[in-house]
Amino acid sequence: MENENEEIKDTKAGDDELIYTYNREVFYHFDKEKGFTQKVDFQNPNNQVIIKQSWDAAQQRLDEVKQLVIIGKSSPIAYYMEKILMEVPMLAAYMEIPKWRVKRHMKSKVFKKLKPEILSKYAAIFEIPVDQLTNPDFLNN
Amino acid sequence: MIKLDFEHRQAGHCESGVTRNLLHYHKFSISEPMAFGIGAGLFFSYLPFLKMQHAPTTSFRVWPGQVFDRATKELGVKTAIHTFRNPKDSMDKLNEILEQGFPVGLQVGTYHLPFFPPEYRMHYNMHNMIAYGHDNGTYFISDTLMENLVEITYEDLMRVRFAKGAFAPQGRMYYPTFVPENIDIKPAIIKGIRKTAYNMVGIPFPLIGAKGIRYLAGRMRKWEKKLGPEKASYYLGQVLRMEEEVGTAGAGFRFIFGAFLEEASTVLNQPWLKEISVEMGENANKWREFSYLGSRNCKKRGKPDQSYDFLADILLEVANREEKIFRKLAKIK
Repeated sequence: MENENEEIKDTKAGDDELIYTYNREVFYHFDKEKGFTQKVDFQNPNNQVIIKQSWDAAQQRLDEVKQLVIIGKSSPIAYYMEKILMEVPMLAAYMEIPKWRVKRHMKSKVFKKLKPEILSKYAAIFEIPVDQLTNPDFLNN
Repeated sequence: MIKLDFEHRQAGHCESGVTRNLLHYHKFSISEPMAFGIGAGLFFSYLPFLKMQHAPTTSFRVWPGQVFDRATKELGVKTAIHTFRNPKDSMDKLNEILEQGFPVGLQVGTYHLPFFPPEYRMHYNMHNMIAYGHDNGTYFISDTLMENLVEITYEDLMRVRFAKGAFAPQGRMYYPTFVPENIDIKPAIIKGIRKTAYNMVGIPFPLIGAKGIRYLAGRMRKWEKKLGPEKASYYLGQVLRMEEEVGTAGAGFRFIFGAFLEEASTVLNQPWLKEISVEMGENANKWREFSYLGSRNCKKRGKPDQSYDFLADILLEVANREEKIFRKLAKIK
């Protein structure tokens, strides 16, 4: 058990540099001799890897949705929802409408016929102007 | 303008830290692990049907709010808890309570929290922090995750208190109103241990407690075949994020709980608890080993470093250890 831990510590030292150094947090440790101790430190490199993984996955999802919007399969609502890391149930809660309506608004055909009030409500949640919602910059490029 | 004389102290876990700091303000001092243990915060559940950030939900702790509720109840501390429909009402009430001289615990969403570390700014509605004053639309905040005291504007605070989605805080605020003198913490400790043991080995449901860890191990073996290497590593990453990310102080709260047992053994004068705290510490180190090996799989998405079978075997070992530990703890007198 102890040998295994030694080995882990050694390989840790060789790992990548820290990515996130905004704030130090409290971590607890246990050692048979010292018992439980506390230390204020950045997240260790291994944990930073898994934090980064979720941001990379979010970026990947965003890129995929972007393609769907460009080929006209999804509406920009799907793109901006992904951009602020939301999912349908949460967006529906912010919009105060049922989930199935949000899902419908993600079809580009339905999106084109949406009333201005609904569009501006979406835009407010996404924190963008309405014309950016109806006509995202990546479509012009 | 009001600014209470509040001592900021960082903590491993937001809610037990908030509980500790609030009680400390009322001249009753316990450690963070004590607050966590008496509040019976330790837990495990794996809910594959409930997706969070596109992966199954794993939880290492009880429902938000329970640590504060249980800990104060067991200690005989009187509290007030409010939720609101109207955001403005919630802010008026907050001002009123602050002016009466009580620091207030707040449940908030983290996505729009301006002082929060950017890497944690996802939609997570179960964060807790303390407001200890306000001045001209600026609120003074003590957040146990942060190194220093912070501030937030009226608008931002209202927004994070009314974040929506799963576990929406609905402006939830809570604070002790009366802390008795001469609290005897011994019965509270015993009750906390008993409740935690019940949660971990007593609930006859397969997705919860030690059984839940075994269930997760079984599922994990099939991930690569069923989902492909990319998604399997994302699912694994999600488990690890819940275990190690914001506010667990490492190893899914197992370290905090072990520290609680160590302290409990002294307070109750029951030396066998000290032995169990050592077992808990070793168990926590095993969890940490799991997350270390697992994180390497997340790094090399396509080619896993360790097979999922190997990782699942570690989980099985951990499950057996925890089952043993909590069967013993259930017998506490």
